[in-house]
Amino acid sequence: MSVLDIAKGMGVTLGHLFKKPVTVLYPEEKVDIKPRFRGRHHLLKHPDSDLEKCIGCSLCAAACPAYAIYVEAEENDPNDPTSAGERYAKIYEINMLRCIFCGLCEEACPTGAIVLGHEFELADFRYQDFIYGKDELMVGVKGSKWQRREAAKKNKEVNIGVKSVPRKELEGVNYD
Amino acid sequence: MKVKVNGIELELAPGTSAIDAVFAAGSDVPYFCSHEYMSPVGSCRMCLAKIGAPRKDRATGNWVLDEETGEPQIFWFPNPMATCTTAIMEGMVIETEAEEAVKAQRGMVEMTLINHPLDCPICDKGGACELQDRAYEYGEGISRFEFDKRHQEKHHQLSELITLDRERCIHCKRCIRFFEEVPGDEVLDFIERGGHTYIATVEEGLESNFTGNITDLCPVGALLDRTSRFKGRNWEYEHTITSSLDDASGSAIVLDSRTGRLERIKAELNTQVNKLWIDDSTRFGYEYVNSSERIKTPLIRKGDNLEAASWQEVSEFIADKLAKLAQKEAAIVLRADSTLEEGYAAKNLAKILETGQIDHYPRQLASVIPNNSASLNDLASSDAIFVIGDVSQNVPIVDLRIKDALKGVAPPEMFEHGVPIADLRLKERMIRKKEILTVAAPYNVDLMRHAGQAHIYEANSEEAIFKALTKIANGEDSSVAAMSNEQAEALVKRLNEANNAIIIYDGFSLASPAAAIAARNFANAVGAKEIILGQMANSYGLEAIQVLPSHERYGYAEIMQGSAKALIISELNPANNSQYAQNLKELELLVVHSIFENETTALADVVLPAKSGYEKQGTIVNLEGRLLEVNAAPIDAGQAQDFEFLAASIIAALGKEGKEDLASLAHKAIRKQFGVDSKKLDPEGDLKPLKPRANNKAKLHIQSTNIGNALIVPTMLRLEYIDKNPHLLAERGAAKLTMNSIDADANGLKNAEIVSLDVAGIKRSFSVQIKDSVPAGLWLIPALPEQAIGLLELDRASLKKELEPA
Repeated sequence: MSVLDIAKGMGVTLGHLFKKPVTVLYPEEKVDIKPRFRGRHHLLKHPDSDLEKCIGCSLCAAACPAYAIYVEAEENDPNDPTSAGERYAKIYEINMLRCIFCGLCEEACPTGAIVLGHEFELADFRYQDFIYGKDELMVGVKGSKWQRREAAKKNKEVNIGVKSVPRKELEGVNYD
Repeated sequence: MKVKVNGIELELAPGTSAIDAVFAAGSDVPYFCSHEYMSPVGSCRMCLAKIGAPRKDRATGNWVLDEETGEPQIFWFPNPMATCTTAIMEGMVIETEAEEAVKAQRGMVEMTLINHPLDCPICDKGGACELQDRAYEYGEGISRFEFDKRHQEKHHQLSELITLDRERCIHCKRCIRFFEEVPGDEVLDFIERGGHTYIATVEEGLESNFTGNITDLCPVGALLDRTSRFKGRNWEYEHTITSSLDDASGSAIVLDSRTGRLERIKAELNTQVNKLWIDDSTRFGYEYVNSSERIKTPLIRKGDNLEAASWQEVSEFIADKLAKLAQKEAAIVLRADSTLEEGYAAKNLAKILETGQIDHYPRQLASVIPNNSASLNDLASSDAIFVIGDVSQNVPIVDLRIKDALKGVAPPEMFEHGVPIADLRLKERMIRKKEILTVAAPYNVDLMRHAGQAHIYEANSEEAIFKALTKIANGEDSSVAAMSNEQAEALVKRLNEANNAIIIYDGFSLASPAAAIAARNFANAVGAKEIILGQMANSYGLEAIQVLPSHERYGYAEIMQGSAKALIISELNPANNSQYAQNLKELELLVVHSIFENETTALADVVLPAKSGYEKQGTIVNLEGRLLEVNAAPIDAGQAQDFEFLAASIIAALGKEGKEDLASLAHKAIRKQFGVDSKKLDPEGDLKPLKPRANNKAKLHIQSTNIGNALIVPTMLRLEYIDKNPHLLAERGAAKLTMNSIDADANGLKNAEIVSLDVAGIKRSFSVQIKDSVPAGLWLIPALPEQAIGLLELDRASLKKELEPA
C-alpha cells in the first residue's frame, strides 16, 4: 500500500464532506418514504361515488399469517349502500400488534380496498389502542390513534412524520 | 359385472352407474347435477368420459373379437358419455383421463362459467362451492368469452328463509328435482328456455316443510339460507356434527358457529336416519340461541328482584333449603329433550333427596317404546304402512321416509366412496305406490295427499278404530269408524300379507293408554312392526332410563298441583298456566333452569342459566331406539350449564358426593342398560331398541277425556322459541288456531285475525286459520312443551279478538 492509495481513500471521504447528507433529522424533519414501503393500512373508497371498496369478503383475514384481521359482514341496504357490492364490512379490525406488515392482505383483496400505506408512527400506551377499526383505517383519516388523540388535546392539526407521494394503489390517500 | 376404469379392473353389481364405477376405482369425474338421493338426469354434462363396450354378434351370440389381439373388441361410443346416466355393461371400458374426455370436461367448465358471475368474494357459498372447486380442478383458468354475461335478478326472495340469485344458477335442476322427488311438493320449476331459463315458485311461494334442503344441495351460491346470509365465510366457521334435538328423529346436523355465535345449521349425512335431509324447523329454528335476552348468570331472589350470583352461592342456598325438607317433598322435572346424561343426573339427585317425585314432560300416559320396533330404513323399504296421526308435523323425517317407501326403492347399498352418487333406480316423476299407504287422522293432515286411502275420524276414537281393526284381523265382523267395511278389510289384508308392514302412531293414540294398547294388539294381530312418535327428541330415552315418577300421584300434573314443597324444573314454563302458577307461588323452593325469562322464572327463588340443545354434550335415543351423540358447538352462553352440572353442584353443596362423578355414573348406566359405550358411539348411531316396560297395563284404569272441543295437535315448530327466531316467524307466522268456516262464522272470526284464548289455563294468542277440511266443532291448537298432544275441553267464551297493532 502506497501513500497514494491512502490519499485516494481520503479523497473519497473528502468528497462526501461536500455532498448533501442522507441523514434526516427525524422527527424535526419529515421522512420521504419510498413508494413500496409497507406501513399502516388504509381502507379505500371509490373516489367518484364515495362507496367503500371493501365488500367484507374476509379474504384478507384468511390470507393473514398473523391472524391480525377480523371481519364481520352485513348486507347492504339497497337504498343506502355502504359498499359497491351486495355486502359491506360491518366490523373491520386490524390488531397492529399482531400485524407483521407483510402485505398479504393487500395481495388477497379482490377489490383493492385494503392497502398498506406509509404511516409508521403507531406507538401507543394500551393494548386496546392497537386495535384499528373502520374509523381509524378509513381513507381520509390521518395519523395513528395516538397522533390524533394528541392533536385533539392540543387542538392542532394531526402532524405525521411522512411527506411522501403515495403509490397509485393508495387511491385517495394524501400525506400532505 | 366386470368393468375397466382407467385401466383398473373392477367387479361391480349390475345396475351400477358408470360414475359410481369411476369413483369405486378411485378415479374422479366432476359433476353438478347428480346427487346421492335423487334421480340422475345428466343435465349438467360435466361427468363426461370416453366409454366403450364389447359387442356380441347377433347371429352367433359370441363376442366380436379384435382380429389383432384375439380379445373382445371394444366399440367406443361416438361421443363422450355422461357417466351418471350410463349403466355399466359387461366388459365396459370407462376412460376419464382420455384426451377427448378431458377436453370435453374442460369445455363444459368453460361453458358453465360463461354465464356464471364471478362474484365469489361476496357469495356465501364461496369456499364451499362445488363449481369453484371443479373450475379449479378441471377448468382452463381463463375464459375466451369476451361478451357481456347474462344478467338476471340477483336478489329474488323465494321465501323469508331462502334467497335466489338467478345469475348464479347453472340449471342443474337439483332443487326442482328435490321438491318433486323427495317431499313430493312440486313448488319450483324452470321457466323459459335456453339461456333465459330461470327457476321460479308457484304463486303461493315455497309451500313445503323441507325448503331449506335446496340451499344445501345447490352446487353454486344461487340458493342461499337467509338466516345466515353474510354471517361469515365457510372457512371461518367451526363445524360441529351433532344430532338435532328438534324432534324425535335425531337427524344429523352440522352446527356452523363463529365467535361464540351459532350462525348456520346444515344437514349432515346419516344414511340410517335422515339421509341428507332435514326439515325447516330443524334448520332455521336456531336463532334464539344468539338472543341477547338469554339468561347468562345464575340469579337469586333478593326481595322482589332476582340478582346475579355465582353457581357456588346458589347451590349452597338450594342445598340449605333442600336439607330442611323431609323425604318425598322435593320434585324434579326435566323437559323431554334432555339428554340421557341429564336424565341420570336427575335420577341420582332424586335418590339423594329421597324423593320419587321426578318426571319428564311432555309425556303421555302410554309408553313411547314399541314392542316390535321398526327402524327408519325398514320404513323406507316397507310395503304396507298404516299411519294414524299427524306424522308430517310430529316428526317430518318420518314423513320423508314414508315417501321413500312409496317410490318402492330400498335404501341403496354402500360403496367404499359412500352412498351411490347416481342411483339408477331413481327416476324423475316416478309412479308412487300410493296404495301401500293408509293415513287416518282426526283432521286433514299433509300426508293424506300421498296416501292411497285417507280417513278423517272423530277425535279420540283411536281405541275404537284399533279394536275394530283387530277384530277384523281376527276374522270377526266389525265396523271401523270413518272407513267402509271393504276399506277396513282391504287395509287389514294388506298389512297381513305384507312382508314388512309398519304401523305408525303418535300422541293422539298415546293420550289414552287403552288406545295405545289397542294399537299394539292390532300390530301383533297383523304382524306389523311399530313406530311410535314421541313428542320430543329424547322422549324414548328418558322413558327407557325411567325418569318417571315412583307413583302415579307424583306425575308432572300432580307436582304442578302441589304434591311437592320444593321443585327443580328444567326448561319448562308451567307458570304459563294460571292454575299451576298459584301452586308454584306456594312452594318453599322453586329452582328454574331456563334459557329465557318467563312466567316461571318470575316466581322462582333461584334461576339457573340453561344450555340450549346446541351446547350440550350427551346422548339421546331417537324414536327407533337409536343412541345418538349430541355434541356441543362453541357458543357463548355465559355461565349456562346443563342439568348434569346443576345436579352435581347441588349434590356437592349437600355434601353427598359419591366416589364417582355423575358423568361416569351415567356412562356406566348407559352401558348397563343399552349395552353400548356412550363415548364410542357409531357416527350414525347404535340401534338398540328396548322392550317396553310391563307397567303399561297398570295405567289402564286412567281414562283420558273422551269429550272435548279442541285438539292439541303436534307442530313442527318449536313455539316456545318462535318469537326469537325472526326469520322462521316471518315465514311461518305466529301459532295458528285452525277451525272450520262454520265455527269461524259462528264466532265472527276472519282468516289471519289475531285472537287470544284460554287453553286449559294457558293464555295464548293465535292467528286464526280457516280450513274447511277440519271437522266442524273441533278447534286445532298447536302444542307447547307444557301441553301434551290430545283432546281437551276449551272454554270458548274466553276467546278475545286482539286489536291489530297500529
